[in-house]
Amino acid sequence: MGEPIQIDALGPAGPYRSRNRRPLTSLSGAQIGEISQVPSLYVHRTIAAMRAAPVVPGARRLDALDTAAELFLTAPLGGLGPDEYVRLVSTASGVPRAVVRQSVGWIADVLRAQRTTVELAMPRGAVGDWRDGRTREGAAVWARRGDLFAVHAAGNTPAVHGLWPEALALGYKVVVRPSAREPYTAFRLVEALRQAGFPPATLTLLPTDHDVADVIIAEADFAIVYGGQDVVDKYSAIPTVLTQGPGRSKILVTADVDWRDSIDIIAGSVSHLGGTACTCASAVLVEGDPEPLARALAERLGRIPSLPADHPDAILTVQPTASVVEVDQYLHKVAGDARPLLGGDTIVDELPSGGAVLRPAVHMVDSPRAAQLGVELPFPCVWVGPWRPADGVAPLRDSLVLTAMTTRTELIDALLDEPSIINLYLGDNPTTWLRPGIPHDGYLGEVLMRTKGMIRTAVESPAA
Amino acid sequence: MSSTVLDLPRAGQPAPDPDEYIGALMRWHFDASTGSPFWLRRARSLGFDPIADVRTFADLRLFPNVVDEFRDVPVEDLIPRGLAGEDRVIAGVYESGGTTGAPKRFVMFDRWMEFALSWDEFHYADLGPANVLAVAPSGPHMFGEFAARRARRHEGVRFTVDLDPRWIKRLIERDGPGAADLYAEHVIDQAAHVLTTQAVGILITTPPLLERMARRDDLVELIRKNVRFICWSGAHMDADSREIFQAEVFPGIPLKGLYGSTTILGMSRERPGEAAGGLAVFDPPSPYIAFRVVDPDTGDDVNLGERGQVVMNHLTKYALIPNNLERDHALAAEPPPGWLGCAVADVGPVATFDDHAVIEGVY
Repeated sequence: MGEPIQIDALGPAGPYRSRNRRPLTSLSGAQIGEISQVPSLYVHRTIAAMRAAPVVPGARRLDALDTAAELFLTAPLGGLGPDEYVRLVSTASGVPRAVVRQSVGWIADVLRAQRTTVELAMPRGAVGDWRDGRTREGAAVWARRGDLFAVHAAGNTPAVHGLWPEALALGYKVVVRPSAREPYTAFRLVEALRQAGFPPATLTLLPTDHDVADVIIAEADFAIVYGGQDVVDKYSAIPTVLTQGPGRSKILVTADVDWRDSIDIIAGSVSHLGGTACTCASAVLVEGDPEPLARALAERLGRIPSLPADHPDAILTVQPTASVVEVDQYLHKVAGDARPLLGGDTIVDELPSGGAVLRPAVHMVDSPRAAQLGVELPFPCVWVGPWRPADGVAPLRDSLVLTAMTTRTELIDALLDEPSIINLYLGDNPTTWLRPGIPHDGYLGEVLMRTKGMIRTAVESPAA
Repeated sequence: MSSTVLDLPRAGQPAPDPDEYIGALMRWHFDASTGSPFWLRRARSLGFDPIADVRTFADLRLFPNVVDEFRDVPVEDLIPRGLAGEDRVIAGVYESGGTTGAPKRFVMFDRWMEFALSWDEFHYADLGPANVLAVAPSGPHMFGEFAARRARRHEGVRFTVDLDPRWIKRLIERDGPGAADLYAEHVIDQAAHVLTTQAVGILITTPPLLERMARRDDLVELIRKNVRFICWSGAHMDADSREIFQAEVFPGIPLKGLYGSTTILGMSRERPGEAAGGLAVFDPPSPYIAFRVVDPDTGDDVNLGERGQVVMNHLTKYALIPNNLERDHALAAEPPPGWLGCAVADVGPVATFDDHAVIEGVY
C-alpha cells in the first residue's frame, strides 16, 4: 500500500485527528494506517453542536441525497478514487471486491430512492409538510419524534450503510460511529453527503472505542446498532435502539414445489455477499426428504473458488487466518451431531497472499427444532432439516427474511401473521432480494416519525 | 537523634544527597527511639536489615508492599516516635481505596501537608485572593482538606459539595454507568448553585466532573467569566480531552493537574509545558515522594518513554511507604536532574487490579 491511511473524525467544525488513534490493519496483520478515537468530551460537544444546527429543508435534503449518490459512485473522496476505495475495502477488510461494488451500487440506489421511500413510508392520512393545503381542512402532519440519529455500524459488508440514509431524508441529524475493521465506506459516504450539501453539523463521523460508542448511543434520540446476539441482548430493552443482529433468514420448501428448479436461488441466498448479510439464508427446511436438496446445495456451494478478496471474481470473504480458525472451531462446536455435507473437515483455506478464505459449509439436521437451525455465522453456512405441515410456523420463527417456496395460501397467511418473521418472500425469490423503497426491517420512518394532528386558518406559508 | 537531612527544605537550601537521605531515613524509621510501632514490629519479618541493607533509592526495592496492612493497623502505630513539637501536629487521618476492598488509613502531619500543598504553589503565584470551589470528595479523602488549605492561602473560603466516590462505584458495579449519572448530575447541580451565587476563583475537581460541567453552557459561561484557575485530580485526563478543555471549553484559564494518592500523602505537580503528544508530565517532590514505572510482569523499571505500572514511594520522617504498586499505568518520563526515580505522563487505569475489576467513574 502507498501512503498510510488516516481516518479522521468528521466533526461539526471539520476533520478532527485525535492523539489517541488505533492502527488500521490489512488481512496479513500489517499496519496500513490509523483511525482516530475521539474522547467522550468530543462526542458531547459534537452532539450539542448538531442539536443546535438548523434542519436542512426537505427538498434540499432530497436533492443532496441524489447528488451524494453520484459522488459516492464516481468522485474522489478523502483522497481516494472509487476504484481505489473498492480495492482498499477488499484488501484491508477482506470483503470481496465484487461484493463491495455490489454494495456501493446498492447504497447509491438507496440514496436516490429516498424521494419515493419517504412517500411510501408515510401514512396515507398524513402530509409531509404543514404548508400542504390539506392542513387547512385538518390533516395529519408527519413529524419527527427526535432530532438526532446514531449509527453504530458494522464492517462485514458496506451494505450496512444502506439503511441510515433514510434517517437523513426524514430530517434527522446523523452521527455515524464506523466499524474499526472497515471504516472506509462510512468515511466515504459521509464525505459524499457533506459535499452534496449536508452541512457538517448535520452529519458527523465519530470513530470511538466501545465505551465512548455507548455515550453516542445514550445521547442520541434514536440509534441503530449492528452486532451479534450479545449486542442485541445488550440493547434490546431500550426502545429507542434498533438492533440489527443475526437475521436467521430461512427458506421453506413444501412438497407441492419442485426445488430442483430453484436450487440456484437457494444457493444464491446462502452465498450472496459472501454469506455476510443478515438476509443470507442460514437454514433451509424441506417437506419430505431434505437430503437430495442438501446434497445439491453442497455441490453448488462447493464450486465457489477460493480467491483473494481483491480478485475480481472473488465471492467469499477473507479474514485473518487466526479469526477464520476461530470461526471453524466454533462451527465444529455448534455442529454437534449435525451431519456435514460440505466444510465438515475445515472451512479454513489459507491464501498465499495473506489471510484465509471462509469456505462454505452445509450440514443436515434431523429435526425442525434442532438448535443448529438458529446458528448464523459470518460466511455461507447453512443447516438443512426436515419440516412437516404438523410442525407449523414454530420452526420458522425469528427470521429476518423467510422465503416460502409454497403454493399453500393458508400457510402463507399464517406466516404473515407470525410477528417474528420480519419479511416474507414467496416462490422463487432469494432471501437476499432487496429493493429500495421496500422495507428491510420496517421503514425507519415507522420508528422515527409520528403523525400530529393539525388544523390551521390564519397562518399562511410565505412561499405558497 | 534526628538528622537535619530529613527536615523539610527551607528556601535556598540545597537538595540533600540522595544516598545520605535514604540512609538517614532508614535510621529514623528503624531505630527504636524514632521509628513507628508499625515499622519496628514489621522490621522483624522483613528478612533483611533496613539500616544495613538499604543505602540507595534502588535498595528500596527490597521492601515488600505493605499498604494492604494499613487497612487494619491502628493509626497510632503509624506515628514515628521521634516526631515532636510542631512535627507531631496531625492534620488528619485520610483513607485511600475503599472502592476496591477495605480502605487503608494514613496519618497526615500538618507540616508535611503544608509542604505538600506548596509543591505546586508556583502555578498559583499570580492569582491573588480567591475563593475555592471543590467539587471533589471530602470525608476521609485528603482531597477536601487540601482544597480548604488552598483557599486559606488565597485569603478565601472553600465552597464544597458532598461527594462519595465509593457509593458511585457501587452504583456503577450494580447498575452500570447510567445509575451513576443521576448522582453525578446531582453533584453538578449543587456546584452550579455555588458558581451562580458566589465568587469562585479557583475550581478544583475531577476530570469526569469537569466534563459534565463542560456540557452545560450556562456553567461554562460562568466558569469562563469568574474562574481564574482550574485544578484537576483524582482521575485520568487523556491528552485529547485536555486539549479540548484548554483550546475550546476554557480557553485562557490555567488547567493544571495533580497526580497523587493518599498512599503517598501528597501529589506530583504538572510540569510547565508539555511532553510530545500533548501530555502533561508530573513531577513528584523528590526525595520525599518518588516514582518508578515498572514492567508489571517483571517488576523491573521500564525505560524512559515506555509504559508500565506506577510504583510510588513516600519517604519522609513523617511516614515510610515504600515500593507501593499503584493501579495506574503511565509513561516513564525524564525527571529533573538529581531526582530519585522518574516523572510520569499519560496516567491511566489498567483493566484489572488485585482481582477486583477497576471501574473508572466520576472519581
